[in-house]
Amino acid sequence: MWRAFAITALIGTVGGLCWLFPLFHVVLLNRALGEKSARVFDAAQFADDFWSEKLLKSIDRAAPVEKLLAAIQNDPVAAKTNYARCLGMGDSYIYFLRGSGTILSISGDEISVGVSENATNTEIVLETGLIFGNTLRDGTGLLSPSDYPDSQDFNDIAAALNKIAMTRVLPKLRAQVKIGAGISFTGCAEVDDESSDLHPLHIVPIQAEVQ
Amino acid sequence: MKTNPLKLALVACLTAAAILSTQSSSAQSASKGKIAVVVSTLNNPWFVVLGEAAKARAIELGYDATIFDSQNDTAKEAANFENIIASGYKAIVFNPTDANSSIANVRKAKDSGIPVFCIDREINSTNVAVAQMLSDNYSGCVKLGQYFVKQVGVNGKYAELLGIVGDNNTWNRSKGFHSVVDNYPGLKMVAQQSAEFDRAKALEVMESIFQANPDLNAVFCGNDAMAMGAYQALVAAGKERQVKVFGFDGADDVVKLIAEGKIVATGMQFPKLMARTAAEYADEYIQGKRDFQQKIPVKVDLVTKDNVSKYGDYGKK
Repeated sequence: MWRAFAITALIGTVGGLCWLFPLFHVVLLNRALGEKSARVFDAAQFADDFWSEKLLKSIDRAAPVEKLLAAIQNDPVAAKTNYARCLGMGDSYIYFLRGSGTILSISGDEISVGVSENATNTEIVLETGLIFGNTLRDGTGLLSPSDYPDSQDFNDIAAALNKIAMTRVLPKLRAQVKIGAGISFTGCAEVDDESSDLHPLHIVPIQAEVQ
Repeated sequence: MKTNPLKLALVACLTAAAILSTQSSSAQSASKGKIAVVVSTLNNPWFVVLGEAAKARAIELGYDATIFDSQNDTAKEAANFENIIASGYKAIVFNPTDANSSIANVRKAKDSGIPVFCIDREINSTNVAVAQMLSDNYSGCVKLGQYFVKQVGVNGKYAELLGIVGDNNTWNRSKGFHSVVDNYPGLKMVAQQSAEFDRAKALEVMESIFQANPDLNAVFCGNDAMAMGAYQALVAAGKERQVKVFGFDGADDVVKLIAEGKIVATGMQFPKLMARTAAEYADEYIQGKRDFQQKIPVKVDLVTKDNVSKYGDYGKK
């Protein structure tokens, strides 16, 4: 009698504990997979939203090209201090700039542009080939690595932004470009080696319009 | 009164010794406390440099500093943190073993009031460490990828030796490299295998890859220890001229081999810069500063035969 009572009480207690503190949960497989994929960062979607909602709307913040080139000509150190964005530790930096000019030449993956009146020398170059690296991601200062626990997500954004530029901006630009035409542009230019990268600046376009 | 010169010299020596002893003990008593330097492994010279640089800077700043070796083992790392927390350290300069598993250790230190500054390897969290100084592995390997295409050409067969599969640096390097190289369909990756950032494993892996692919043109290695192992395997096979080796780290032995034209390129990380800065941040924190940027990327330089003379001793000369 007592034995049966003890066994019943034990089963009841264990059952109660399991009910209150379950050792595992049964979840439908499709729901579990859905939750897992929901946690995965979608860099392409993020970049798409960022491009239209933030990047294109920030163009007014870009430095006017004539002003920037004059500042670099006058005092490269002061120009860097006043206009460049440096990300972390290192000697490279990025200019976010906009302006307009005349197409002077087209060669390979580059469009040479004169931006001052009656310019005959290349003053800036627009890149129209493959785009690599972090120039677009880091050039505007709108994105910070500190907001991304996993740096792989932050790097995936760089690749996704490059892809948007290569698929949406560059094909149209390559199709319209012609020597002597006017062009307006906004983009980012990385300076890694001041002896070669300042003259001319090589700009990765965010927006470009041939007139 | 006659004075014995020997006695005079003895008295002078004893006085000097007493003064030095007093200065030493006052220096000890002037210590600002203890800083721990926890390194993922001391089985790789690059991490030894990282740890020693942090320790040396902490000592320069007036702290007692001790290096703890986690031996690439998260359990050992957790034990190191327990020890540090119980021993009254004021700050931890930390090179994590695992981006996810190491978070708990940093949180435990934070909860005990000990600030943690990560170096070289990140933890996948932005609210437990005070700051994280991390090489920009991705863009460093973008540069390596671009140089790889220039050197190997747009057609060829290559292999990739990956680091530890669970480590973020492994994939940031691999993804940066592939963001360039995958644009050239004529470049075929015939093998991609982990050698866990280890020289001896890389030697073995490279031997088997080369046996299966004797027409290999190049190998991209996720760190310099693996580049050294791969190069060693190629030398043993007599194929070191056929297969172009690319590394990443900026280790001294690889920089020397680049100067000799035996290895093609590496990405120079700056372990001393990262480690010294982390020790300085720890000091600033202890002095009261609180506004630190969470993740601080550190630029990686491409080192090739054209600029190798500018590099050495784990940095720029």
